[in-house]
Amino acid sequence: MYQYTEFDRRFVHQRAAQYRDQLERNLAGRLSDDEFRPLRLQNGWYVQRHAPMLRIAVPYGEISARQLRQLGRIAREYDRGYGHFTTRQNLQFNWIPLDKSADVMDLLAEVDMHGIQTSGNCIRNITSDALAGVAPDEVVDPRPYIEILRQWSTLHPEFAFLPRKFKIAVTGATEDRAAIGWHDIGLQMVRNAAGETGFKVWVGGGMGRTPIIGTLVREFLPWQQILVFIEAIVRVYNRYGRRDNMYKARIKILVKAEGQKFVDAVNTEFGHILNDDVDGGAHTITQAEFDRVQASFVLPPGVSEAGAPVAAPKSDASPAYARWLQRNVHGHRLPGYRAVTLSLKRASLPPGDITADQMDEAAAIAERYSHGELRVTHDQNLLLPWVRESDLPALWEDARAATFATPNIGLITDMIACPGGDFCGLANARSIPVAADITERFSDLDELYDIGDIDLHISGCINSCGHHHSGHIGILGVDKDGKEWYQVSLGGSDGSTLSGTAVPGKVIGPSFAAEEVADAVEAVIETYRRQRAANERFIDTVRRVGIDPFKAPANAVRRSTAHAA
Amino acid sequence: MKFIDTPKDRWHALGGEDGPPVSINPDPYLLLDLAQWHAVRATWPAGVPVGLKLANDVDVEEVADDLGRFELVALHFPKRVDGRAYSQARLLRSRYRFKGEVRATGEVLVDMLPLLARTGFDAVVLRADQSRDAAERALGFFPGHYQGDVADNRPLFARPSGTPARLVRDFDDAFVQQGASI
Repeated sequence: MYQYTEFDRRFVHQRAAQYRDQLERNLAGRLSDDEFRPLRLQNGWYVQRHAPMLRIAVPYGEISARQLRQLGRIAREYDRGYGHFTTRQNLQFNWIPLDKSADVMDLLAEVDMHGIQTSGNCIRNITSDALAGVAPDEVVDPRPYIEILRQWSTLHPEFAFLPRKFKIAVTGATEDRAAIGWHDIGLQMVRNAAGETGFKVWVGGGMGRTPIIGTLVREFLPWQQILVFIEAIVRVYNRYGRRDNMYKARIKILVKAEGQKFVDAVNTEFGHILNDDVDGGAHTITQAEFDRVQASFVLPPGVSEAGAPVAAPKSDASPAYARWLQRNVHGHRLPGYRAVTLSLKRASLPPGDITADQMDEAAAIAERYSHGELRVTHDQNLLLPWVRESDLPALWEDARAATFATPNIGLITDMIACPGGDFCGLANARSIPVAADITERFSDLDELYDIGDIDLHISGCINSCGHHHSGHIGILGVDKDGKEWYQVSLGGSDGSTLSGTAVPGKVIGPSFAAEEVADAVEAVIETYRRQRAANERFIDTVRRVGIDPFKAPANAVRRSTAHAA
Repeated sequence: MKFIDTPKDRWHALGGEDGPPVSINPDPYLLLDLAQWHAVRATWPAGVPVGLKLANDVDVEEVADDLGRFELVALHFPKRVDGRAYSQARLLRSRYRFKGEVRATGEVLVDMLPLLARTGFDAVVLRADQSRDAAERALGFFPGHYQGDVADNRPLFARPSGTPARLVRDFDDAFVQQGASI
């Protein structure tokens, strides 16, 4: 993990002090609520349905046991005892009173954490592959590069008030586990024919009302130039992105409207910075800086490139253990090591939620089995990156005791869901009850395994925090006449090998009532099971037969919406 | 950072705000908009100080050739959350080496000061209700930053060794405590 320098540490304390000053001026009536709003947003503080929401940055998903314990303490002492992991690898609290917010920022700074740029129209927390640094298919470990990007983007003075939010995702593996095509900037680390390291750069992907996949703007950018190239992209966006209509303000709209002209403008700006500006090449990353940052991302103490003795699986393994091995345990680049997902998808809690006690338990498990390091995954689970194969049986027992061992990773109940209308002020409909209905409907493990790999994503509104566009099955909450309705779409993809080229799903018909959604999903799944060829996965069947065969069975479950279909 | 006290400011717009470019006498310290400047640029005498105010959707490239003739460029924030003028200022300084005053006008609030200072503004007209003391204080929270800025475009990592350590300091309690009292 990245180790904060004394400068980094003071910097987050300074940010906390600045925030406290702004909060106190607000509480004293010297800074209006309206004018305080963008300031608190850029520290992660929203005002939600019931109380403020705090979104805490977990840069590229890496978190230590010590940090997770501190989050548990905050959950216990300032919130109602739980938090929620998001698709952007962050953690959200929902019940902290605003007048306590500066105290919480101080507690976060104690463990090198903050809420900087987790909201607002600025460059947001940068996300990555949860398996960064341990994935067997990794070409380049992206973490040092992302850390350098994180520092560069932190409190960038020119880019704090962009037309709209700006999200960057980076992967260094051949498999895209970071959905880079769906981001404002997607970066894939590659090596060219000469063996040099660089970035393949996409711009202008995004979800929301207008789902668009990013456009490839650079096949190979030498790694040293990434800060300058991103400066060029963001400056073109800051100058020319639309500000007249917030629904058309994301960079995807600019890229789509301008096409090649946008790409040309970025390349021209890039050239101007390097050739014309005062000290314009100053942000070219030096080898010394790369080496300094990379030194934080070495193997944990006691782990070597040679790995560990390969442990044979237990011959007397129970079926439950075998299932956990199959779904929750992943390959590792070092022999004798595994990456293990702690599932936060269980019937007792909403997807991605974790209690304060469970934070402590996950921290203890990470210390016992993973050198005190965890990752927050894009699909709202926790992952242990450094588990020895010989520890797997003991880890399974501990994970089970802490309710983290549901063997469902990649299956229909491992769904992505936003907090929805139960918490979020933007939502049109609730996500959590729908997620609970579907989880209950598919509680039979044999059935779950028979259905196989499937991405089910639920968003409570078109802002798409639950990534419904990229779900094999996408569920979108919509509001009509003050009531909650749900659109169901099929065939979306996040861009992974399993899911295929990134693409939004297609809606299968008029919206369903809340109580019909689980039935509709079940009808879709039953149709798949009837239609599938041998060993064919859900998404492959949908692609082969199209969405039409799913429409009639889904419509047949309608009760209150029967007139609509 | 210079705080402009508007009644005492020697710069003035042409009679009435943003009027059509009729006949313009080359008085010193006139602050002209782009249309007005275009009407007089061929005849404006050298040596008579003149300033330009730019809307935030104007490309600074358009006036690049004339920048040497202005003592002042005023950039506008129609809304506090519209960040286009930060890029304009940055380009004026870093790309076109503009050495005159770059002034922020419009909805200019206390908490924008750190951004303004680092993108090249050296003068501000605060919105009438804003506290100058609070604005000066807002400049004091961060001894250093990661990325470069117009004062020194080198990011922290490219500065001389020892720079980060020199920038590490704690606030004294008095500074932290005085916030709400200003």
